[in-house]
Amino acid sequence: MTDMKRTDFFQLIQPLTDKLYRFAFAMMPDDLQAEQLVIDSFNAYLIKEKKSILRQDVDLTQKKTLPVIRRKHFKGILQHMITIGLRRSIQLNEQLKISRPDDFKAFYELDPKVRSVLALRFEAQFTVEEIEDMTAMPKYEVIEKIHNGRFLLLNHLNAEATL
Amino acid sequence: MIENSFTNYSKKIVPYLDGSMSQDEVSEFEAYVMTHPELEAQINTKAEEMSLLKSMIPAQSPTYETHDSLESELKQSVFNLLKEDHRTLMNRIQDKWEEFVNR
Repeated sequence: MTDMKRTDFFQLIQPLTDKLYRFAFAMMPDDLQAEQLVIDSFNAYLIKEKKSILRQDVDLTQKKTLPVIRRKHFKGILQHMITIGLRRSIQLNEQLKISRPDDFKAFYELDPKVRSVLALRFEAQFTVEEIEDMTAMPKYEVIEKIHNGRFLLLNHLNAEATL
Repeated sequence: MIENSFTNYSKKIVPYLDGSMSQDEVSEFEAYVMTHPELEAQINTKAEEMSLLKSMIPAQSPTYETHDSLESELKQSVFNLLKEDHRTLMNRIQDKWEEFVNR
């Protein structure tokens, strides 16, 4: 791959930086951990998809197809982020309790799998079918996690309101 | 029968609000809502609940420093990991064969 092509690929994924960080932060409520999670997931994706990326010609002037290609890469990177992030958030659970922002206490008390599904659905705006693909969970499990998460979050809010 | 279809449309409120409905379904749903104002009230309540829910999910953007450092790390990864392997003639034939077989 020429330097030019690598520059094009970087330009293609550059607008995803903040979105990737936002999802990583929903998994790991710590600035350094979230940053590391983005880097590791991105590297894992590049290693796995190296061949197909090298074969693909990115034409940055194609305004119509660009968002579709970018979204495909976004989903691919998130797929790795979910796998790595779930493992890490379980391993570092105690450590991460300290850095949890108070504003989102209820969210971070949820099971990491529920958290990831909720963030994919309501923050990243993916459909249930896309989440099913990315998480390798069956559709009924994705729907169940969305319902449970929604129920628990709203319950927490109601409990706070009655205090 | 009428009650049944009202229940069916009530179940479609969430997909309608979060945009997961197809354009045809949206048109059909909106046409039904026009003739059933009681469903509109339900939609408004659900919309409030959804926005409340979204506000409970963090959407933390990186700080300026984190954003910069993250971008430079990603750029470095692209330049370090996306390198063409030195391929022998046999490797290339193998690649082409794999490509052909998997077509």
